[in-house]
Amino acid sequence: MKKLLTGNEAIAEGVIESGVEVVTGYPGTPSTEVVLTLLPQEKELGIHIEWSVNEKVAFEIAAGAAWAGKRAMVTMKMSGVNVAADSLASVAYSGCTGGLVIFVADDPGVSAGMPEEDSRYYAKSMVVPMLDLASQQECLDYVKVAFDISEKIGGPVFLRSTTEIAHVASDVEIGKKLKLEKREAHFERNIAKYTKAGAAWCMAQHQDALNRLAEASKICDSYITESGKKVNEIHFEDGSKQGVIYAGAVEGNFKEALKKYNLKLSRLKIGMIHPLPEERIKRFLEKVDRVLVLEELDPLIEAEVIRIAYLLNKKVEILGKFDKTLSLIGNYSFKEIKNALEVLLKTKLESGQDSKILEKAKELEVKRPTSFCIGCPHRGTYFALNKAIKNLKYKKDEIIITGDIGCTILGMSKPFESCWTEVAMGASIGLAQGFKWAGIKKPVIATIGDSTFFHAGIPPLINAVYQKVPLTILILDNGWTAMTGFEENPGTVSLNGAVNTKRVDIVEICRGCGIEDIQIIDPYQSKKATESIMKAIEYPGVSVIVSRCECALQAKRKKVKLVKRKVNIEKCTGCRICLSSLACPAMVFHPKDTNSKAYMEITSACFGCGLCEFTCPTGAIEVIKDGK
Amino acid sequence: MENNFYLIGVGGQGVIRLGQIVADYGIEKGEKVKFFKEVGMAQRGGPVHCEIRIGNVFGSRIPPLSSDITVVMELSEGLKSLEFIKPGGTVILNRKRIYPIDMMTHPEKYPKDEGITRLFKEVKVKIIWIDAGKIASEAGLPIAENIVLLGALSFISSFDKEFVISILKKHIPRELDKNIAAFRVGYEIAEGMVE
Repeated sequence: MKKLLTGNEAIAEGVIESGVEVVTGYPGTPSTEVVLTLLPQEKELGIHIEWSVNEKVAFEIAAGAAWAGKRAMVTMKMSGVNVAADSLASVAYSGCTGGLVIFVADDPGVSAGMPEEDSRYYAKSMVVPMLDLASQQECLDYVKVAFDISEKIGGPVFLRSTTEIAHVASDVEIGKKLKLEKREAHFERNIAKYTKAGAAWCMAQHQDALNRLAEASKICDSYITESGKKVNEIHFEDGSKQGVIYAGAVEGNFKEALKKYNLKLSRLKIGMIHPLPEERIKRFLEKVDRVLVLEELDPLIEAEVIRIAYLLNKKVEILGKFDKTLSLIGNYSFKEIKNALEVLLKTKLESGQDSKILEKAKELEVKRPTSFCIGCPHRGTYFALNKAIKNLKYKKDEIIITGDIGCTILGMSKPFESCWTEVAMGASIGLAQGFKWAGIKKPVIATIGDSTFFHAGIPPLINAVYQKVPLTILILDNGWTAMTGFEENPGTVSLNGAVNTKRVDIVEICRGCGIEDIQIIDPYQSKKATESIMKAIEYPGVSVIVSRCECALQAKRKKVKLVKRKVNIEKCTGCRICLSSLACPAMVFHPKDTNSKAYMEITSACFGCGLCEFTCPTGAIEVIKDGK
Repeated sequence: MENNFYLIGVGGQGVIRLGQIVADYGIEKGEKVKFFKEVGMAQRGGPVHCEIRIGNVFGSRIPPLSSDITVVMELSEGLKSLEFIKPGGTVILNRKRIYPIDMMTHPEKYPKDEGITRLFKEVKVKIIWIDAGKIASEAGLPIAENIVLLGALSFISSFDKEFVISILKKHIPRELDKNIAAFRVGYEIAEGMVE
């Protein structure tokens, strides 16, 4: 049976078919949809699935389950591996008994703002095998391969995807659900394997990890998946002295080019990118004189191919990133792959659209800066924050505001332009302390969202209290991990009323961490909110503002109905101060024409946050009474 | 067979829903399908586009000069599709301008229709203008612009009309009759224009 599945949905299907019993993760584009797809089926599948508080915790839970003999998967984006890395490195040395698969999705081309980090380095530095996904079908198939290998070698396995695979849907052949024998949870005490207490044990574990890696390579090189595909595969084209070595998402566009231009090229597809199939690469290089290496981001495979060619003592021309045929940056579109093949073949394959037309189109293009959603409580928080700074007679460009990950960072954009920095989960609070110790005399303010706070915001908060750093921290608590698609977190009040989880209160956490000055504000009540923020900024120690108001999109789903606003056209002067101070997408400006003066309109899309009322100098914005 | 569809607009217009229906049509017909979505900041007024490839295709994205049918739901966004349009293909232009917030106060900065049309003429594509908003309103459901355009796309692609409607039923939870009416009008308008 064929189904239209995105790469991530196919991973979820693979998880179901592989008999996985514990699935954990932390949301992060482009990895989020694996857990998102599985969560509603938790009961039906009879397994445990969760959004953990961060990637490190998520990994540890999966590792614990795998040490108890169960199959477990953890999912994250590449930035998440940095968070999980500490525990990951340690577990990688110990190995595991049940299958343990770490699903990581990289984001070359940056679909969600973060460094274009190449997670493949982690496979090398942590001595863990890694499979690279080249199609949606492989997403399903390789989950099974990864668990199989993980249990055969007794160690964790990385499964790496990229945006182009994770977010694209394709026809995927659904497989069979594996019939695993029922496993009782069992963990054998073995401190030489499961602790790091002593150099001898650590080095013995290192050797074990290396042995597992070698075994994985042996098993994988001849591995055939359920849909009959080889994980690593050579195809020699008769008479061709030119070849392509490739791995990952580039496969689609490469095959497209082969078809489109009817090219006959020898090729080596690599499904397991760590460890690389050394013998196979040797065999390939023996038959070709000129090779193009296709891989996105860093030249990991290319460097190894050059090393192997050197050891072969054979002159092979190797094209890729070192000779600048391909870029280190971004994901490869069809055009980039075509251009690289032109270099390999020393011929022009096709020219694209007339560049003059494209240049003209670029000139005409309309930029669409992103703003907060209609009714977003963060709009209110940044509006009040800017006002508080102004009321305290500070200039906007002298107050440093550190921002954090998620929707709250949109406070960097127009019209607020509040945030100055965005680094990593929880980093706003740590950075702010650095600014103070560097000697910034004016107040320093950190903003952070609720999920980000739970994830990595608590240790820097404790540090600020402990080190007595005068600081104002605004926690924008909208109750959801909203940016990635409204996942739940410890502070969420679920849409359906969660029964298995207990809600954790951010205010109590702050009190417990020793915060003495803590205020809760409603960002829609702009006057009061502004006053509270002013007080907090003037407080001599660490002050916390919890700006608490549910994400408007989720509130709408919960059928929360607020009083909408309308413009009294008589009073409206068309000054547009409301629009320029809030950038609310529910507002439409009508310029002056022959029949009427200029005026603003608030459309029926209004959620009723009421912030615009606080901006209007003529009091033209009114509540709609009785639906009129 | 190979059919490439490039659909583009702004968050909230239903670009992705339109794409999902086209992709499902392909899958239900037993074809190979690739369905790419660019949704990044859709909720927040950002650009949205999707690409559907049906038939013997490998890459998930439409190569340059290969889009058989291009649907432009918002005019200025449509400029981004020019690179991919196949000469001799068809582009459906929806008479719709959505001003980003900073342009709302200076609507004169938005490119003129003529400027946009000229570029589409230069890439040698058949142009079909549709005022989907007006048609959808007449069908009693102003939001169903995407379904009007689905109608036009279905005629141009020689899709099995009733089969598309059966897929529509799976995707539309509310106001099904009005959606089907919007679909039929879109289909007939394209029929009238091409003949």
